[in-house]
Amino acid sequence: MIEVERLEKSYGFARALKGISFSVQKGEVVGFLGPNGAGKSTTMKILTGYLLPSGGQAAVGGFDVVEDSLEVRRRIGYLPESTPLYGDMRVDDYLMFCAEIRGVPRGRRKGAIQRAIDLCGLERVTGKDIVELSKGYRQRVGLAQAIVHEPPVLILDEPTAGLDPNQIVEVRKLIARLGAEYTVVLSTHILQEVEKSCSRVIIVNQGEIVADGSQEELIKSLPAGGLIACVRGPEAQVLSQCGELLPGCPVTVLERGANAVVYRLQVGSGSAPVEEAFARLVVKNGWDLLELKRERPTLEDVFRSLTLQAQLEAMHA
Amino acid sequence: MRETLVVFRRELKSYFLSPIAYVFGILFLVVVLYFASLSSLVQGSQASMQPFFGLLPIVFLIFLPALTMRLWAEERKLGTIELLMTFPVRSSQLVLGKFTAALAYLAFVLVLTLGLPLTLGAYGRIDWPPVVGAYTASLLFAGSFVAVGMFWSSVTRDQIIAMLLSFGSLIVLYALGYPVLIELLAGWLPAVVVDLLNGISPYKYFESIARGIIDTRDVVYFACFCGFFLYANALVLRVRRLKG
Repeated sequence: MIEVERLEKSYGFARALKGISFSVQKGEVVGFLGPNGAGKSTTMKILTGYLLPSGGQAAVGGFDVVEDSLEVRRRIGYLPESTPLYGDMRVDDYLMFCAEIRGVPRGRRKGAIQRAIDLCGLERVTGKDIVELSKGYRQRVGLAQAIVHEPPVLILDEPTAGLDPNQIVEVRKLIARLGAEYTVVLSTHILQEVEKSCSRVIIVNQGEIVADGSQEELIKSLPAGGLIACVRGPEAQVLSQCGELLPGCPVTVLERGANAVVYRLQVGSGSAPVEEAFARLVVKNGWDLLELKRERPTLEDVFRSLTLQAQLEAMHA
Repeated sequence: MRETLVVFRRELKSYFLSPIAYVFGILFLVVVLYFASLSSLVQGSQASMQPFFGLLPIVFLIFLPALTMRLWAEERKLGTIELLMTFPVRSSQLVLGKFTAALAYLAFVLVLTLGLPLTLGAYGRIDWPPVVGAYTASLLFAGSFVAVGMFWSSVTRDQIIAMLLSFGSLIVLYALGYPVLIELLAGWLPAVVVDLLNGISPYKYFESIARGIIDTRDVVYFACFCGFFLYANALVLRVRRLKG
């Protein structure tokens, strides 16, 4: 549905995008994740035809964003960052304007608007002026505007920025509902957002894609975490035995309980399955194993390891 | 065409949704009618619309930059330009929609001044065809100012700067249509240049048509003048897409 190849964008001397490539299949919900200023918004502005790229190519539904800009714009629903709206218009008038200018045929406009109102939960405010609405409702109007013409592709730039926690939950639910029908690309610098709503994550940093895959894939790509074991048995013996028989896995004590100790074994990515070896050790020594589990790295760890590292390198360079 | 019409309707509606339309309209009417009636309605004077139409250039010069300054600058400030420019609509259609809406609003305000010729007609004889012609000419004239003002509004996101720029350029155009200055310039510059400078001033053309005689050449002039600035306006939008 979306094909991006070596896309570049410069503002004056600043290079906002340094040749990024990715593609999005029909029906995917892709999260664009990155620190502020990474190039998320720039990518979205190019995909929606608001900005022209400085180099490379991008196509939506097979249409080039430069050559067939109007065709691309017909296939897209867009919620720009900070949700600009015409405050002086009423919600229903505004949606009617959007439906008209988006070319929804006259006979289908009423139905299309009603559908957008229902999906976004706007029944209570349809007759109000947009200026009077709360931030949460404004955001919903922005989303309704983006879907009123039933575009195959939805592009949402920071859809939950500036909302309170309840509103964020609401908007996320809405996005999840929309994700069932549309191909969605959303940008955010909030990790939970991606964890909750997206089937795939693209992490951008300083104008480059640093990771692209499902959440599981990205998490797997991190060096495996540690092994956490809660053992009842003499602490000194556990430590010495582990040091002798599992030399590749340095042990540390995480927590001392009343009758058990929690240990953490650092596991290298290449080492053999440590769980079994450790279990055998426990049985051989007659200790009690109360708990044994792998540390699960989160998307946050992936994000931090990828973006912080680059930032540090940039600072030292 | 359909897209232009949708933009036109929203724009025209926005004049009446905001206080601008009313404040501007009322102020305009008060100023124009007050000064025009001073000279038109005094006893013994002829029933003439000349003072009214003679006043319009200077009133437009003062009022129109304030009306047009928001046309693009406000969209950029609010960010709504990002919506407009990502609708499946050409930049030229956006420009044309906004321009025609401003003209329609000004036509509405001019229609409100019809009270003056109607009053004059009641007390004396009034020759209607030239009056209708002069009204049409005034609208063309206003259109050329709107095109200039709208262009400057697309250049900056600051409405005050847009207003000052259009005010300044309208004054320059005014001066170029002023015979005294043209004579002065004739002493310094080659005749061709002076003719050219004089030729681009809308004021030069307004005078003849304000008498109610509409010459096709004048109409062509106004169409070209507006066309030039509207084209430049669409060009600015295109450059914006490129530069970000």
